[in-house]
Amino acid sequence: MSLFDSLIAGLSLVASFEAFFALFAGICIGVVGGAIPGLSATMAVALTLPFTFSLQPITGILLLLGVYKGGIFGGSIPAILIKTPGTPASSATILDGFPLAEKGEAGRALGMALWASCTADLISNLALILFAGWLASFALSFGPPEFFALILFSLTIIAGVSGESLLRGALSAMLGLLLATVGLDLVYGTNRFTFGDPNMMGGLNFIAVLIGLFAIPEIIAMAWNPTAHLGKARALGKTKVTFADYKRSFKSIVRGSLIGVFLGSIPGIGAAPSAFLSYSEARRKSPNKENFGKGEIEGVAASEAGNNGVAGATLIPLLALGVPGDVITAIIIGAFMIHGLQPGPMMFVLNVDIIYGLFIGLIVSSVFLFIVGSVAIKGFKFVADVPKRILMPAVLVLCIYGVFAVNNNIFDVGVMFVMGWVGYVMMRHHVPAAPFLIAFILGPLLEDNFRQAMLMSGSDPMILLRGPITWFFWALTVITIVAIIRGIARKAPAT
Amino acid sequence: MKKTTLTATILLGAAFGATAALAEYPERAINMVIPYGAGGATDISARTIAEPLGDAVGQPLIMANVTGAGGATGSVAVQNAKADGYTMLFARVGSHSVNPAMKATLPYTLDDFRFVTVYEINPVACAVTPASGINSMDDLVAKVNEGGVSYSSSGVGSLLHLAGAMVLKEFGVEDPLTAATHIPQKGGGAAATAVLNGTATFLCTNSSALASFVANGQLKPLMVTTPEPVVGFDAPTANDLGKEKLNKLVGWTGIAGPDDLPDDVAAKWGEWMATATQDAKFNETMSARGSVIELMNPVDANAFIQGQFEIFRDLVDELGMRIEG
Repeated sequence: MSLFDSLIAGLSLVASFEAFFALFAGICIGVVGGAIPGLSATMAVALTLPFTFSLQPITGILLLLGVYKGGIFGGSIPAILIKTPGTPASSATILDGFPLAEKGEAGRALGMALWASCTADLISNLALILFAGWLASFALSFGPPEFFALILFSLTIIAGVSGESLLRGALSAMLGLLLATVGLDLVYGTNRFTFGDPNMMGGLNFIAVLIGLFAIPEIIAMAWNPTAHLGKARALGKTKVTFADYKRSFKSIVRGSLIGVFLGSIPGIGAAPSAFLSYSEARRKSPNKENFGKGEIEGVAASEAGNNGVAGATLIPLLALGVPGDVITAIIIGAFMIHGLQPGPMMFVLNVDIIYGLFIGLIVSSVFLFIVGSVAIKGFKFVADVPKRILMPAVLVLCIYGVFAVNNNIFDVGVMFVMGWVGYVMMRHHVPAAPFLIAFILGPLLEDNFRQAMLMSGSDPMILLRGPITWFFWALTVITIVAIIRGIARKAPAT
Repeated sequence: MKKTTLTATILLGAAFGATAALAEYPERAINMVIPYGAGGATDISARTIAEPLGDAVGQPLIMANVTGAGGATGSVAVQNAKADGYTMLFARVGSHSVNPAMKATLPYTLDDFRFVTVYEINPVACAVTPASGINSMDDLVAKVNEGGVSYSSSGVGSLLHLAGAMVLKEFGVEDPLTAATHIPQKGGGAAATAVLNGTATFLCTNSSALASFVANGQLKPLMVTTPEPVVGFDAPTANDLGKEKLNKLVGWTGIAGPDDLPDDVAAKWGEWMATATQDAKFNETMSARGSVIELMNPVDANAFIQGQFEIFRDLVDELGMRIEG
């Protein structure tokens, strides 16, 4: 069957009101679900899954993909407005999105988030359609040693998000690495720092830590000093993103999208590290580096491009190899199997109509996301106008509800509050929270892959240098560290 | 935001309802705890049975994923719940026979639960990549004796972990723990990926988790553990190879309550499950995923799980696989 025939077959499959409606509805559900702190894109997809059982395969899968894409964008709305990432992937968006909202430019930040998301989404989908096979075979050459080198390199992001003081950032990262060790040991299965509590055996819940670290300190600060914010202009804004903003950030958006495509196509990393990597690269390359973290529109663009760039690319290992790249695609793969579809190389032969149907649906989804997102921004941005004394209690209720709902476990709510106080103390002492989060995400990956690599080689460390991919990342790591040290050395005489 | 408030109100209402006295069971919604994450084998199985089961029960079933620690977190939640039949658990081979057999410090034992049914059996299959040049179990065992063979699992104390060791042991490898390296991964998907990308040599897991890789020619099945062949798996059964003992090495999903669950409640579940498993759509969906529907009443279910647990425990003792601390 030629490409044209495949396209026609795909088109005939999706060219129904039902399929497009499902996609559209999915994006709406996703944006709203993502915008509710704690509900996260993952849970929105999981909640939608049972509804797809009775639908046509293509309709059901498009519904889930819509929820996924909508959710990843929706997460940026509360990240910008109330400093609470709606979904872990949008934690990087806080860094510059929230300062922009504080300056009364919420509308501009939200607009940029949407434009960057849609652009990255489109690039990611095109990458999936054009390079799926090539990227999939590349992803398969990633074993534990390659992962270890990649994640080691990613840890250098910490320098990029530490703000004023690298030492404080490193302290924050150490704390994150320490807390990430709680739970079961990967290789021996023994309890680590669980203190005999079964709730700790699974490790600290990621969403609870995330919300505790970012949202709760703001609320505590508000309760501590309820009138501190009075007199500061937060009124919203009518500000809109301009085409000049977009043009200025375009390079960062494309770079972020490509980082997203690359990290998304490798199973097991996910959207949050990609967003942070994209952010730190944008900061490194930017002429007004100093402004990052204080409300730089390009920072929002880079973060959102980084996380939405992953969304299309995670389907590469799913469709081409039958391997889920993250938690969300693991749920989506379940939907394929329920309908008797078996993702993998043979699907491109046996169900080529479904594959092309999905491709068409995905391209359309970028457009739908733009429409739904624009409407959502209009609705949500008035949140920025709500007086803080009313907004904050409402945020607190949402956070508690959301964190409880992740795992139906009250213990997680406790974790959130403890982390909230930790976050508050860190905030008072100007210790940045972002390095903590990055270390908390990457720490376990680093450890697990290192230990898996050691198991593979019988504890011979040379395996960590086993091929060109590892050499590449080791070289990048060394170059970055040298650059950081030189940066410090240059700054030192000045102060 | 309005929707959230509404949901919260409903949840609160449900919480108050929980204090009402037991009249004719069930007089209100039943909480069903799934101890594994959304989209996994247990989750899909649970949500597929929930539909016909809800009709049979006549009350809503509230499905909640309580995940963590290989199913332990969710299991503990039900272990500590009131034994009134309003909090039940979807128990799974990992959480309720492998883990109790392997982990000394697990916060629960099998005696803390009363099983009301087992409704699904998942055959286990062992597979390698076609590129490995291994074509049969004999080839695999020969390679193991040469050294350098490893197997992946979804984590320590998972079915896959035990299965790899048990299969090698049955095929005459004296000390499978040192002869082959166990490389744990995080989750079943990662375990299959590890074999695909050459990190590990083979894995033994539920046939449903391997079906798409086998159909796509990415993995080659060497054996299935059931007496009957598995559709789509061009591989001998354990019985063909004269290893009947491996028939016990199967996955399963069942439903359990706390250990002091009243007899009449358990009997009710037996009836409901008999009705629910008749549902045509349920059977169709489950078989499409490679499961065998096999309904057990409360007595048989307890005996089956206890029997499997004892075999696993003896193996763990013999090989010294117990996890202390």
